[in-house]
Amino acid sequence: MSRWQYFLRRVLMSIPVVIFGTTITFALIRLGPLDPVSAILGTQYNPQAAEQIRNNLGLNQPLWSQYFDFMYRLFTFQLGQSWVIAPGTTAYELIQVYAPRTIWLGFWSVLIALFVGIPLGFYAGLNPNTLSDYVASFGGIVWRAMPNFWLAIMLVTALSQTGQWTNGFFTWQTWIVKTNVVTPPALGFFQSPLQGFIEDPGGWINSFVRATKQIAPAALVLGSASMGNEMRIGRTAVLETINSNYVETARAKGVSGRSLVWKHIFRNALIPLVPIITGEAFLLLGGSVFVETVFAINGLGWLFFNAAINGDLPLIGTLMYIFILILVGTNILQDFLYTVIDPRVGYEG
Amino acid sequence: MVLLGVELGAILQVVGAIAGVVVNLLPGDPGAAAVSSLQESLKGIPTLVSRDFIPNQGYWDGSQWVGTFLGLSPAAAWAVRVTVVYAYAFAVLGWLWNGYNRYRRYYRRVDWTPRDDVVNRFRGHTWGQFGLIITITFVVMAVFAPALGPTTMEENILQPYDYEVSYWDDESQSVQTVLVGEANLGSGSQGAGDENVAPMTYDDFGRFHPFGTATNGKDLFTQVVFGARISLTIATVAMGIAGIIGLSLAMLTAYYKGLADLAIVLASDSIQALPVIMVLILMLVIFQNTWVRELYDGAVLIILIFSLVYWPFIWRSIRGPAFQVSEQDWIDAAKSFGQTPGQVMRKHMAPYVFSYMLIYASLSLGGIIISVAGLSYLGLGITAPTPEWGRLIADGQQYVASPSWHISLLPGVLITLVVTGLNAFGDGIRDAIDPQADTGDEAAATGGGA
Repeated sequence: MSRWQYFLRRVLMSIPVVIFGTTITFALIRLGPLDPVSAILGTQYNPQAAEQIRNNLGLNQPLWSQYFDFMYRLFTFQLGQSWVIAPGTTAYELIQVYAPRTIWLGFWSVLIALFVGIPLGFYAGLNPNTLSDYVASFGGIVWRAMPNFWLAIMLVTALSQTGQWTNGFFTWQTWIVKTNVVTPPALGFFQSPLQGFIEDPGGWINSFVRATKQIAPAALVLGSASMGNEMRIGRTAVLETINSNYVETARAKGVSGRSLVWKHIFRNALIPLVPIITGEAFLLLGGSVFVETVFAINGLGWLFFNAAINGDLPLIGTLMYIFILILVGTNILQDFLYTVIDPRVGYEG
Repeated sequence: MVLLGVELGAILQVVGAIAGVVVNLLPGDPGAAAVSSLQESLKGIPTLVSRDFIPNQGYWDGSQWVGTFLGLSPAAAWAVRVTVVYAYAFAVLGWLWNGYNRYRRYYRRVDWTPRDDVVNRFRGHTWGQFGLIITITFVVMAVFAPALGPTTMEENILQPYDYEVSYWDDESQSVQTVLVGEANLGSGSQGAGDENVAPMTYDDFGRFHPFGTATNGKDLFTQVVFGARISLTIATVAMGIAGIIGLSLAMLTAYYKGLADLAIVLASDSIQALPVIMVLILMLVIFQNTWVRELYDGAVLIILIFSLVYWPFIWRSIRGPAFQVSEQDWIDAAKSFGQTPGQVMRKHMAPYVFSYMLIYASLSLGGIIISVAGLSYLGLGITAPTPEWGRLIADGQQYVASPSWHISLLPGVLITLVVTGLNAFGDGIRDAIDPQADTGDEAAATGGGA
């Protein structure tokens, strides 16, 4: 089987996976003991109103027709409305409002994790069994073992106290630009980035820096687990390639040190890092609930959590569907990267 | 004869251990009303590590401590008891290890088994041993939780208004008694000044608090040790159930292949495509007001959800090895001898893949502990009165910058420590069982980002 056939098969496999995953979501929200009508009515519950709402929402229809309706709407991207937390607002509008903050957060947390984790891991791998290797490795392991929500709380406290601890020498809130520690990032400048930049470059850069600074602590926490993973895998990968025969051959034929590291070791060591980097999607989605809660960033994780505890079933279904699409999409991306980077893929498939 | 003597003493020790474990395990178990009668009868058996043998709850009568072990201060008596518990636990384990070595050297018929290599490899694995020691420390903490706390769950946390505490009142220069609940109200940690009982100090009622008090004045250390119990129980039981499901399905798919395999691939891929934390939140909300949610303050439901969500990961990690073993000649041989599929799977396939499952499961335990703490932090996991680390962190969140920093900080440090220990132990197990193993699925140990 060629590499691309293998890749195609993986892509085709993802269709039933999305269908099954959405079906599980439907089963959970419709067959579970949670009653959407009482969630809508809250304290003003009375049987007549409940019956009316039930009729309006089509909850009296047979289950199979509800199911097909649910699936059909999601797959044609008619994402429905929120019932409880923002009644009447379409899920699409809600996502449009909340998603940018999560994307901004996810973007920085991937970036910080990559640019700290991988260099540290490669450094530790190139200098194995030295003191700095031990410090880096142990630090990475402990860093990875810390629960995100706890780390977030500690970081919030530490940053809020920087002024008092350093006697006003360094205060996070006033450093470079003035921001609060616990705050959603102001992303207004992204509305029309090009125009905004041309008209007022100074102000644009200022709001960019501000938004970055606002998100940085949250991104650092959210990326902590992946950072640790990338470091560990990076270290092992470098150690493995460094001891492999082709590196020895390259060294023997006189390849220079710099070219050896970059061309022969670095590129091959990246392969095992691919699933870690794409696997970050899972960590970021799950972690966003906690980190957004602590840092008061009202993004998708926060939206999902609130939809869930308020019993906003259609919104939950829609968000779940979006998350499934993101995760399946990431898996396909991972397979694609593998197919491109590693010529050995598909031989055993 | 010397050997016999050594082992005889140790056998008695083990009998004591079993009695001790029984006495200590049963009474504090949350919600275990059914065993309360048994608990009463068992309390009569004196054991070395019980609270009654080394009591630390006493009061100062103006000239000396009354009611504590040898008249020591409560802090010293508590320290003695903790030391005795740990010394005892490590002595038992050391004795078992010694016995295993002795058996291996002198009594076993064969000179060598493959398992010896595993043990020997683990012996040379310092990092894994570090993890093992941390893990044992926490397991002992969970098992001996009632004996380790400076006070009991019942008295301090569950029924504080049913118990009294005597203390030395400085103003009237006499011994007074007060309800534990009222004493708790007067010794909460809520930030500045008088409203704080720091770690390793006494409160106004002469009670010693190794980790200080929580916001409501209840002893933090007692809550932490019982929190260790619930966390470790959930993690191991959930992983056990997920392991059984994963292993049985792996056997079925490897044996029958084809359609069975495809069906499980689809099912597991679909479950793996769901964001774990979101599904946990959703399911906990959905089952909020049902009877399942009430069992053990939610622990049973959480265990069920975790095992349903985690089995695909286990199945995935052992699918390959299971397929490999199903191609072996001995499987063919077993089949042609007329063994039933069940027998072939159980006797000839399962033992081979079991160790791979062990590797994955041990690396995933930490993730579950983090997730449970995270859910409890959000107010969805384990509910009161059962103590849970995540809930303690949530309680103390607003006091981190104040003198009451200990409420949030200490449980978090303990989570980090136990997860690091479990991961290290898992690494050790992996390197011992399968030295050529890949690095494994690293994302497993991070609990979906909690």
